[in-house]
Amino acid sequence: MRTLLHLIYKDYLVIVRDRAGLAMLFLMPLALVLIMTGMQDNTFKSINESGIKLILLNQDIDSLGTAIEKEIVASNFFSVHNEINGHQPTEPEVREAVAAGKFQIGLVIPPDATRKIRTQVAKNVDMIFSGDTLSKQAADSVIIDLFVDPTTKNSLRSTLQGSIREYASRIESRIVFNELTREINKRMMVPVANLNQMQQQAVFYREEYVARNDRTAIPNSTQHNVPAYTLFAMFFIVIPFASAMIREREDGSLARLLTMPCSYSTVLFSKITVYLVVCYLQFASIILMGIWLFPLMGLPALSVTGKMPVLTMLALAAALAAIGYGIAVGTLARTHQQAAIFAAISVVILAAIGGIWVPVFIMPPFLRHLSMLSPLNWGLNGFYDILLRNAGVGEVIANCIRLLVFAACCLLVALYVNRTRKEYF
Amino acid sequence: MSGSIAIEIRDLVKQYRGNEKPSVDGVSLNIPEGRIFGLLGPNGAGKTTMIRILCGLLDPSAGTVEIGGYSLKSELSEIKSIIGVVPQEIALYSTLTARENLRVFGGILGLKGKLLRDRMEEQLTLFGLDKYPRMQVGRYSGGMKRRLNLIAGMMHRPRILFLDEPTVGVDVQSKNVIIENLFEINRGGTTIVYTSHYLEEAEHLCSYLAILDEGRIITRGSLSEIRKIHKTDSKLEDIFLELTGKNLRD
Repeated sequence: MRTLLHLIYKDYLVIVRDRAGLAMLFLMPLALVLIMTGMQDNTFKSINESGIKLILLNQDIDSLGTAIEKEIVASNFFSVHNEINGHQPTEPEVREAVAAGKFQIGLVIPPDATRKIRTQVAKNVDMIFSGDTLSKQAADSVIIDLFVDPTTKNSLRSTLQGSIREYASRIESRIVFNELTREINKRMMVPVANLNQMQQQAVFYREEYVARNDRTAIPNSTQHNVPAYTLFAMFFIVIPFASAMIREREDGSLARLLTMPCSYSTVLFSKITVYLVVCYLQFASIILMGIWLFPLMGLPALSVTGKMPVLTMLALAAALAAIGYGIAVGTLARTHQQAAIFAAISVVILAAIGGIWVPVFIMPPFLRHLSMLSPLNWGLNGFYDILLRNAGVGEVIANCIRLLVFAACCLLVALYVNRTRKEYF
Repeated sequence: MSGSIAIEIRDLVKQYRGNEKPSVDGVSLNIPEGRIFGLLGPNGAGKTTMIRILCGLLDPSAGTVEIGGYSLKSELSEIKSIIGVVPQEIALYSTLTARENLRVFGGILGLKGKLLRDRMEEQLTLFGLDKYPRMQVGRYSGGMKRRLNLIAGMMHRPRILFLDEPTVGVDVQSKNVIIENLFEINRGGTTIVYTSHYLEEAEHLCSYLAILDEGRIITRGSLSEIRKIHKTDSKLEDIFLELTGKNLRD
């Protein structure tokens, strides 16, 4: 026990004296969580609150143009502009402005659009009332131009196009009903009410984020990013951990320790203890940042009420998995360079296939299967279960066991390789 | 103590995987208690391999070793409590100060409380390292590191002390301090096993010598006994060259 305490004291001093390593262990993960949450939160807001820059050239100046403009403004989806450099642009100017990236969307409503729709509707109504449903008349189409900045994401573009089409079609049907009402009133003896009044929506959608125990979970960028990057940070301790092991082996201090009343497992146990504390400090600092600092910066606060015991349990399993991986890398790698490069790249790969950056469900089937092998995926699923689905110990235990088995396997591999190699100098 | 055997080696063999020849090839040797024993040999002769085996860092392929009456195979933990090792490398934590290093190693070696503090101060003063209490070891000169490396291996006053090239790369002043202190420790009853390429130093320091070449001991005894065996009055260096040849070694 005394030997272990002396080794812990030594490992603690080695860590606190390595300022660059400390920055990597604490400041970089905090910065990463902050930046990623801020970025994703802003993307979320850009769709719902802050508005996408849209240049609108309304040449119709009638029902369709006015109504589309009104709907677009009322949606709060867009920041609508009607002028470029203080004057109403032409269609080529709108196209050029979007191509130059000044606006993400350009919308051009052609002149006489409403009149053309009215004429078309009137012709159709005439046809219906005359009983001629077979003859096809040449349609005087209305073409609304939608220019999209090529840097706009496909998913966002589809959403925007869908929304604009929905507004246009809603307005078009309103005109159709108006024209229909006018035509019916013209032909019938008894006047009918405007058919637009009948336009009542029959189907509604009710949307709710559901979680266990009859609770409503509110997903936001914080709830998604904090667990993801906490895990990522925990696994990044593989680099300093493996480096510390190799340094000790290369400079002969490990060999010296092993000539003293001190076993290799005690040396490892000391490191595991110290790095476990480091992992918990990382975890605590990121959680505290999510709870207290994020709201001050206008980001959603992390909600962990009543979840800390199970979060702590999962964090312990994840930390041990990361440390176990560090021991394996530190044992298998022969040089600092090998350890640093392998550890960094392998953690990034495990994070990528584990769903840290891109959700697993949108990955191709091959990667989806592969993701089940990543300890970061087990950890992430566990954190999401707790933070978004209100899971308790029972639901998280399977992922905890997976992480602990991974840690144990790494440790066994390291001990076996160490025993066969026995290279302490 | 004097007259008894500190280290008894029988038919020791170490064959590394992939090597054609064994690095240690059937060495049998008795090192008497209380001596300063010099294990000499050209590069690649097997000296470091032998020291690593005797310290428990490498398993022998064959043969038996007893250190202080304990079997290396079955009583390694007892052996670890009576030996001290000063490796050729500066095996210290470079971001720790001298006192922090000694507190860690001394603590693991069983020193504690006032004894640890007194021993640390005594040794640091003796080796002229007491003037830099806050300096991290990484900023020490080569000689200072070498002296601290020595203290870390012997501050617990072991029964048997292994020294692998303890004076390599140090200035004359540091070398003198180290040699003087080794004599002092030996006078306290510690058996010293010492390897070096400095044959003059070995001649001055060691009361018993063995020359190892290609894993085998080619001669052994006190310097006068070796001279007698080889019927010469030459210096140790001349005898060494005569026995091991002048060809370069890897």
